[in-house]
Amino acid sequence: MKKEDMVKLISAEGFEFVIDKDAAMVSQTIYNMLTSPGSFAETQHGEVTFPEISTTILEKICNGKETEFPIEPELTLELMMAANYLHT
Amino acid sequence: MYIRVKRSKTTYFIRCDPTETVLDIKEKLQVLIDQPVNNQRLILVGTGEVLEDSKTLADHKVENDSVVALTLRKGGLLNSFLSDFYASPVYYWVPLCIFYVADRSLNS
Repeated sequence: MKKEDMVKLISAEGFEFVIDKDAAMVSQTIYNMLTSPGSFAETQHGEVTFPEISTTILEKICNGKETEFPIEPELTLELMMAANYLHT
Repeated sequence: MYIRVKRSKTTYFIRCDPTETVLDIKEKLQVLIDQPVNNQRLILVGTGEVLEDSKTLADHKVENDSVVALTLRKGGLLNSFLSDFYASPVYYWVPLCIFYVADRSLNS
């Protein structure tokens, strides 16, 4: 495992989630952010900030390997909005 | 499987296997956080037990999606130097040599 294989996703509250790059690439939005040509800060440092996604939602997304997981009813709308935004 | 290693505001999602030892996990973390294995301590959040280097994740009942807290030794550099020094034979040889020299000079 190398540092370059990981990406850092930062939530609205500033909490950081370091996950495998290939796991993050499941999201079309993140894939485009990390692979777009030209020297963007996201591509170079492997850091993406999501000012509109809260920490709880972002952590659920990072867990998203499983197809089934428990979720609180009040979070569903926010999670679906985030999933739509990330194209997962 | 994945475990979540948390420290202050940062969460590391570490891909691992139940048969891996805690030391393997610490070696993976070492790359990410630039802290030597000796300065890391992992605590299973559910039970609060400290994870031992030699045991495997399965031994400690660390499962998929477990949350593990990471703590770091305070003043890492000096402490690790001291623990290295006390562990090294130099610590025992230096006083021995001093006694030997003192003994020789007293006898002469």
